[in-house]
Amino acid sequence: MALALLVSVPPAVGLGVAAARRPRLAALAVGTAGVIFTIPSLALYALLVAPLGLGTTPAVAALALYSVLPVLRNTVVGLRAVPAEAVEAARGMGMTEAQALWRVRLPLALPVVVGGVRVAAVTAVGVATVAALVAAGGLGDSIFAGLRADDPTEVLAATLLIAGLALTVDGGLALVERLLRRGPGRSGRPGQSERRRRR
Amino acid sequence: MIRYEEATKRYGAGPPALDRLSLEVPAGETCVLVGPSGGGKTTALKLVNRLVEPTSGRVLIEGRDVASTDPVTLRRGIGYVIQQVGLFPHLDVAANVATVPRLLGWDRRRIDARVDELLDLVGLEPATYRRRRPEELSGGQRQRVGVARALAADPPVLLMDEPFGAVDPVTRARLQDEFIALQRRLRRTVLLVTHDIDEALRLGDRLAVLAAGGRLEQYGTPAEVLARPATPFVADFVGAGRTLRRLDLLSAADALAPAGSAPAAGGDGPAVAAGATLADVMTALLTTEGPSVRVVDADAVLGVVTIDSIRAALRRGTGPQPDAAVDGEAGVT
Repeated sequence: MALALLVSVPPAVGLGVAAARRPRLAALAVGTAGVIFTIPSLALYALLVAPLGLGTTPAVAALALYSVLPVLRNTVVGLRAVPAEAVEAARGMGMTEAQALWRVRLPLALPVVVGGVRVAAVTAVGVATVAALVAAGGLGDSIFAGLRADDPTEVLAATLLIAGLALTVDGGLALVERLLRRGPGRSGRPGQSERRRRR
Repeated sequence: MIRYEEATKRYGAGPPALDRLSLEVPAGETCVLVGPSGGGKTTALKLVNRLVEPTSGRVLIEGRDVASTDPVTLRRGIGYVIQQVGLFPHLDVAANVATVPRLLGWDRRRIDARVDELLDLVGLEPATYRRRRPEELSGGQRQRVGVARALAADPPVLLMDEPFGAVDPVTRARLQDEFIALQRRLRRTVLLVTHDIDEALRLGDRLAVLAAGGRLEQYGTPAEVLARPATPFVADFVGAGRTLRRLDLLSAADALAPAGSAPAAGGDGPAVAAGATLADVMTALLTTEGPSVRVVDADAVLGVVTIDSIRAALRRGTGPQPDAAVDGEAGVT
């Protein structure tokens, strides 16, 4: 799962950066990612097994594909929400486009981007469970084994573990998101105005 | 020195945003671009740091066409205070002020020292404010940080777009006073945009009055613009209160009754300093029983001012054509 995010997040963010100022590209990219996101996981696995075979590869590929939408969409939204005057100040003071992106636009969009990663990660936990069907292993195996053996304890244990995992991942990323909203390297709490603006 | 030569900016069809603007701002002076919205003020400002490129004509800084300098390099050498301040909300005050020095690759110690120096300059105690974030500052404090940030790399030219627009009137007046004091010390070449004629008259060594369609209606000192509006538009924009405003720009010493005249011999009434504005003198005249006030410099009495001598001073204006000024005024009211 972590590998899938590692594979999908950088290109999704990159695509988001490219699309943020190009409405047509944004519509196309978010639309395409949205269609992929709506494909049921079983169907997607079935489609991927044909070219990729069984095992971890189709599982990672599916998770990566599902991750694109939330990360891409939040990157576009986050970048568009950056205050225009901050971007103009960056340009006006002599930042190159790349410097403005790395020093101003991305840092300001980062909490929203991480929010997207969070959604992607939680989705991935659920989808990864089903990956047992393509012989990728994982806790999903225990659920399916339990179902076959009519062993409710095993099913319950595996389910609770997966739910716990999802909650942990979600909570951890929520914490990261909150810290980012507060701002790096600072212990102060965010002011009212900022919270209102970013909501 | 900033020089516009026939600078024109068009966006699509229709009237230009800026129409053949030609003017020169001498080094060390503050030129205020003033006029109603749609007058091309901000466009004119942004031509200087190439945030906007002219459709035709050119802009020169120190005799050098800005188009011949790479925009990024150019902008790092020009201070820029934008509308709504535009501080970076994710960075603290020190990092905001350090923006341009960091881009220029100064070493850390030099940047730290410069940040403290600038915060002192704009009246923010460095120890208190360095680590604050923009949302923890009042509107006035944000403006000060914005000015400090613009001055960070010691640019000879400063562009300010409605720099005091986002604050309440009391703070605004105080920031204006601070700006005047600062500029008296630093003597930068400043181009400042405002739609507020009072602000323009207070801050500008020169005013460029722009009308809708980006036409320059008049370019001159505040005293000239008030005494002799070049066009009906300027007279209207400056407003009917301009005689009163002129009283703020002239001093008691400008309006002494001629030596040897009857009132000059009288020599009584309340005393005002030679540097007092004619508005102060008028106040003194209105609150005294007698026909005149005495103008003193230290202990010496320079002469007296009467209503007639004030009228004469207003008619003299700031140069030739005294009658034009009076006619213009009558036309407005």
